Amino acid sequence: MATEKVFWLWEFLGRLHPLAVHFPVSLLLLAAILELFTLKNRHSKLRPGINILILTGAASAVVAAFLGWLLYRHGDYSGNVLIIHQWFGFVTAGFGLVLLLLLYRRGGDSGNFLVYRTILFITAVTVSVAGHFGASLTHGDDYLSSTLPWDKDYVPASGSNFNLASLGADTAKLTKQQEIELNVEVRAILAHNCYKCHGAEKVKGGLRLDGKHLAFKGGENGPVIVPGNTTESELFRRISLPADDKDVMPSKGKRLADRDIAIVKFWISKGAPWPEDGSKASVYRVAKLEPRNPVLPAPTAGLSNPIDLWTNKYFKKNYSQWPAPVDDRLYLRRIYLDIVGLLPSPAELDKFEKDPRADKRALWVRQLLNQQDDYATHWLTFWNDALRNDYSGTGYITGGRFNITDWLYRSLKNNKPYNQFVKELLSPTDASKGFIAGIQWRGVVNSSQRTEMQAAQNVSQVFLGLNLKCASCHNSFISDWKLADAYAFANIFADTTLEINRCDKPTGKYVDPKMLWQQLGAINSKATAAVKQRQLAENLVKPEDGRLYRTLVNRIWAQMMGRGIVEPVDVMDNAPWDQDMLDWLAFNFSANGSDLKELIFQIATSKTYQLPSVGFKEVALINNPNYKFKGMLRRRMTAEQFTDAVSGLISPMFLSVDLKYDPFTAAAYKNTHTKPAIIRASLVANNSFLTALGRPNRETVATSRDSQANLLQALELTNGGRFNDMLKQGAQQWKAQYNDPDTLIKALYSKGLAREPTTKEFTLAKKALGKAPSVAAIQDLFWAVVLLPEFQIIY
Amino acid sequence: MNWNRRDFLKNTSAATLAAMAGSVPMSSFLSSCNGKSIHSTADTVILLWMAGGMAHTDTFDPKKFTPFTKGMQANSVLSTFKSVPTILDGIHFSEGLQSIGKVMDKGTLIRSYVAADMGSILHSRHQYHWHTCYKPPQSVMAPHIGSWIAKQLGPKNPVIPAFIDIGQRFNLGEGEELKAFHTAGFLGNEFGPFLVPDPTSGLESVRPPVGMSSSRFEKRNQLYNDLISQSPMGEFGSDYQKESLRRSMEQAYILLKSPEAKAFDLSLEPKESYDIYNTGKFGLGCLMARRLTEQGARFISVTTEYEPFKGWDTHDNGYTRLIDMKKQIDGPVAQLIKDLDKSGRLDRTLVILASEFSRDMMVEGRPDAKVPEQVDQPDVIQDIKNYGMHRHFTDGVSMLMFGGGIKKGSVYGKTADERPCKTIENPIVIDQVHQSIYHALGIAPDTNYLVEKRPFYTTPDGLGKPVMELFA
Repeated sequence: MATEKVFWLWEFLGRLHPLAVHFPVSLLLLAAILELFTLKNRHSKLRPGINILILTGAASAVVAAFLGWLLYRHGDYSGNVLIIHQWFGFVTAGFGLVLLLLLYRRGGDSGNFLVYRTILFITAVTVSVAGHFGASLTHGDDYLSSTLPWDKDYVPASGSNFNLASLGADTAKLTKQQEIELNVEVRAILAHNCYKCHGAEKVKGGLRLDGKHLAFKGGENGPVIVPGNTTESELFRRISLPADDKDVMPSKGKRLADRDIAIVKFWISKGAPWPEDGSKASVYRVAKLEPRNPVLPAPTAGLSNPIDLWTNKYFKKNYSQWPAPVDDRLYLRRIYLDIVGLLPSPAELDKFEKDPRADKRALWVRQLLNQQDDYATHWLTFWNDALRNDYSGTGYITGGRFNITDWLYRSLKNNKPYNQFVKELLSPTDASKGFIAGIQWRGVVNSSQRTEMQAAQNVSQVFLGLNLKCASCHNSFISDWKLADAYAFANIFADTTLEINRCDKPTGKYVDPKMLWQQLGAINSKATAAVKQRQLAENLVKPEDGRLYRTLVNRIWAQMMGRGIVEPVDVMDNAPWDQDMLDWLAFNFSANGSDLKELIFQIATSKTYQLPSVGFKEVALINNPNYKFKGMLRRRMTAEQFTDAVSGLISPMFLSVDLKYDPFTAAAYKNTHTKPAIIRASLVANNSFLTALGRPNRETVATSRDSQANLLQALELTNGGRFNDMLKQGAQQWKAQYNDPDTLIKALYSKGLAREPTTKEFTLAKKALGKAPSVAAIQDLFWAVVLLPEFQIIY
Repeated sequence: MNWNRRDFLKNTSAATLAAMAGSVPMSSFLSSCNGKSIHSTADTVILLWMAGGMAHTDTFDPKKFTPFTKGMQANSVLSTFKSVPTILDGIHFSEGLQSIGKVMDKGTLIRSYVAADMGSILHSRHQYHWHTCYKPPQSVMAPHIGSWIAKQLGPKNPVIPAFIDIGQRFNLGEGEELKAFHTAGFLGNEFGPFLVPDPTSGLESVRPPVGMSSSRFEKRNQLYNDLISQSPMGEFGSDYQKESLRRSMEQAYILLKSPEAKAFDLSLEPKESYDIYNTGKFGLGCLMARRLTEQGARFISVTTEYEPFKGWDTHDNGYTRLIDMKKQIDGPVAQLIKDLDKSGRLDRTLVILASEFSRDMMVEGRPDAKVPEQVDQPDVIQDIKNYGMHRHFTDGVSMLMFGGGIKKGSVYGKTADERPCKTIENPIVIDQVHQSIYHALGIAPDTNYLVEKRPFYTTPDGLGKPVMELFA
C-alpha cells in the first residue's frame, strides 16, 4: 500500500548487477595475474594488454558497483554479509579509479610501479572478497563451506556423513564399512523418494523397494536393479530421465537431486551392495538420546548468561552482530505477557523505568515468577493445550474423560520439578490420570485410537517430541519406528497385552511392553498397568533421557522466543539451529532440579531474549531448515492473553459464574493469595470468542497455536456480541471515571500500549471523542486501539 | 484504503497460500500435480442435513404400509405412511413428501447408502463420520467436508465466507460432540464454518454490531485505519503478523459493508416466496442457502438441527412426529430445487439431502450385529406413541442429490421390501459419497496434506472412489 512503485528501469538495471560483476572480477584478476608475469620485466609485451584489462576492469567495477547499489535500493537484501560485500565493492571501484588515474598520469610504462602494483594486487583481493560475499548473498553463506566434510554444519541430504568422493575411484574395491554406508545412503534416497508408491503401503507396478529381496526381485516387468550394470538397470534409467519425460521416476513430485542420482548410479556400478548388517543403520535423521554438556564458551565482555555465550558464538559464526537490547517499556511488556500473561499497569511501568538498580530486569523477572497464581494461570493454557485438558469436550458426556485442572494448577503454582511433574502424569493419581486415560468415545474405535494407544502416542509426542501415530497403525515410513514398537509402548498402559492390529486388522501377534529406548530401563511384562506405568515414569525421567529434557527446554524456548531451537517442536529428531545451546540448556535444566521457573528466569534475563523482535514475511520461513536465529520472532497474543489484556484494560470479559476452575475458593488456597482483579480466560470454558481467537478444542494434543488471523476471527471482533458488549460496559465506566477526553486518551494509551500517544494519534483520538465524549465514541476508540497490531502482537 | 475490493481479496488469498507451513499443513507431494485436472460439474454445494436419523421406509423408500391399530404386531410394520407417486414412473415416496416427489426429475434418488459399523449406533459418532469421512476419535483433528472444499477451492465470491453452516446450535445436548466435527481441524481456523445458528437472526452475524448505525460503523473503521497508520508498529514495515491481522479486519469490514451480505437478510425476500420457505428454521435456512448461492457462496450446510430426542431423532411417537418433520422439509426443499433450476444455478450447484443413518421399528444397528438397544419397543403396540421407526438402522439409508452434473430423474440402489429393509443393490458408503462430491467439484481424489509428516487424505488413505453412475 505504502510501497512506492519503483521506476522499472532502476529495478531492471539493478538486476543486471549479478551479470555485470563478472567483468570486474575476471578482468581485474587477469590483470593482476598478467602483472605477476611482468615483475621481472616491467616493459613486458603484456603491458598494453594489462592496461586495457585495467581500463575495462575498472570501468566495469564502477558500473557494477552502481548497479549493485540500485539492486540494494530496490531489492530485499540486508545484513552483515551485504554490508561487507557492499563496502568491498565500493572499495574495488575506488581502487579501480585510482589505478586508471595512475595509468593516465604514468602515460605509458614509466612511473611509480611500487604504488601501482600494490594497489593492483589489493584491488585483486578486494574484488575477490566482494565476489565471495556477493556469492554468499545469492547462494547462502554456507554455499561453499557446507559441502566441506570438515565443516561442522556439513549435513548431506540424508543427514548422514556420507561422502561419495571419499569412496575413491570407480575401480577401487569398497570396504565392508563403505558398502554399508553406501547402502544406507541409497536406502535413504529410496525411502524419501520411492517407498511411498513402492513400499508396504502401495505396491505400484508390483515393485517394492523397502527390503533387500523385494528390491532385487523387481516388479511386474522383471528386475529393476542389475548389479554392476547401470544401463541395464531400469531403476537407474527411470530416475535419470529428464523431469518432463513421461517415464521419469518419481512420477509425482520432484525429480531426484543430481547428487542422489549419482549415488544410486555409483551404488549399482559397484554391484549394488546391500550387506545384511547395514539394514540396522537408520536412513532417517535421529537425534541422540544421551544428554550432553558442551563446555560453555568463556565469558566475554558484558555477557555472562550461558544462553548469551552460546548466542555470541552462534552470532560470530553467522556474521551477526548484537543489536542493542529493547528498552525498559518493551521489556516489561514482554516479561509480563510471557511470564504471567498480563499487561503491566502504567504504575508498574513507571516504577520499573525509574528503578535505579543495575540488575532490575532480573529482579522484576524474579518478582513476576513469584506471583504464583498469575504464573500458574498463564502457563495453565500452554499445558492444557499440550495435555489436552479442558473443562468441556467430547468424552465427558459418558465419563470417558477426566479433568486434571486442579492437579495441574497446583503443580504449576508450586513449581513442581519437571521430572516429578512427568512422573505424576505417567504414574498418576486420580487427580492427574486424565492425560494417559485419554478420551474414550462410546462404541468401538479404531485399534490405533484405543486409550492405551492414545497414551502411547500422546506421551511420546508431548514428552519426547516423537511421532508414534504412524507406527501405531503400520510400520512408519517417516521414521524407523515399527508397529511392534508402538504396541510395546502402548502395552505399558494396558493391564493385558494388546493384540497387534495392522491398519485395523488383527495380526494374531503380541509383543511385551517395552520402553521406546530400552537402555532407559526395563518394564515388567507380567505386571499390572499401574506397576508398568510406575516403571515407565522412573525410566523416562532419568537424566540419561536427554530427549525428555531437550523436548521440554525447546518447548519453553519456543513459547518465549516464537520459534523453537528445533522446529516443529514435536519433531525433536530435526536438526536444531544450535545443538550446543539446546544440549547445554537441557543438561543443566535436568542437572539443576528440573526447575521450570529457573529455566524461564534464565531465558527471560538473557540478552538473547532482550534482542529486538524479528518479523517475518511468510510463516513458511519459520520452519525453513536454513532458519537463522536473530532474536525472538514476533508473536500474536494467544486468545487468553488478548482476552485477559482487554479484561484488565477495559472491562471484564468474564464473570465469576463463568469460572470452571476457581483456585481461590479451593480450601487449600484460602488466605494464601490475593483475589485477582479479573476472571482469567484460562479458567473458563471454551466459547465461540476464544475459539475464534485460536483456543483449540483440545480433542487432540496441541503444542503450538495457529497465529494467522482470519475472517471468522475478525468477524467475532468486529460485530461479536460478547466483545462489543464488554467494550460498551467499559466505555460507561470510563466515561464516569474520566471527565475530560485528554486524560482518557492518555490513560488508554499508557494502560494499553505502555506509551504516550503521539501528537498525531492524540489529535485523531481527540477528534473521535469530541469535547464531551459519548459512551459510543469511547467504545469505538477502545475498539480501534485494542485491535491495533501493536496491541495484539508481542514484539 | 482506495484498494479495489477484488484486488484486495485476490492479494489476500495469495498471502494465505504463503502462510502454509510446517505446523500448518503442507500440500503433500502425493497430491496430483501433473496438471491433469478433473472437469468439474459443480462449483457450489448445499448440504441439507436431516439430523438425528431419517427413516428411509417412512420417507424416500416406502415399503408396505400398515395403519395403526391397537394391539398390532410391531414386526408387521414396515412403513407408517401411505406411499404416494412421484414424477418418476414407478417410484413412490412416503406421504407428505409430494412436493419433493415432483422435482425428482431434476435429481437422483439414492436408496442404498450404508452407514458404517462402529459398534454402537450413536448419532454424534455417525454424524462425525458422515461429515469428516473419518471415524472418531482421530489422532489428528479431521476437517469437515465443508472445510476441505473451502481449503481446496476457496470462496467463490471472496466476500462471502466459503463454508457457512446454518441452523445448528451448540449449547444443546451432545454439543461438544457436534463441535468436534464442525471444525476445519488441521486445515486451520481460516477454513472453519461460519456459523449461523438461527437463520431468522442470521443478519446479525454480518452487519455492524446491534445498535451501531452505519455511519458510526464507518467512522469507527476509519479511526482504526488512521490509528494503524500512525502506530509506531509501522516502523517494522511488512510483517506477517501485522499484515495478517490487518487483512482479516479489512475482510470483515468488506463483508459487513457488502451488498452480498444482504443475502443473510431474509426480510428482503418477497412475501410470497418467503411464505413457501417459512416452515420453521430449516425452511428459512433453505431460503438463506438459496440467497447465498446467488451471491456466490461455496459450501452451505442447512440442518434440521440435531438435539437428542428431537427432530428426526424419533425414539417415540415416530409416526406423529414425522408428519411435522415432513411439513418442515417438503415445501422448502422442493422450492429450493425449483428456484435454483429456474435461475439456471442448479446446473452448477450440487444439492445433497442426507442423514447419518436410518431407522427401523425392530432392528437396532444392522441385521446381523449385536449392539445395545437404545429404545424399548413392545412387540405388540397398544399406544400410538410406539407406532413409528424408533430404532437406529444403518444398512439402508436414503439420500437425494440434485444438480451439479448429477443424473436427472434417476434412481440408484435398492433396499429389500421385507424386513430388514436393507440395501440389496449398489451399496454406497461415505467415502464414495465424499469422493462423488469432490469429483463434481473437480477436486482430485488423492487430495491430501502432510500433517506431522503423514499424508492426510480427503477420504481415509485416499482410497475412496466417486460413483460415476451418479453423474449424467
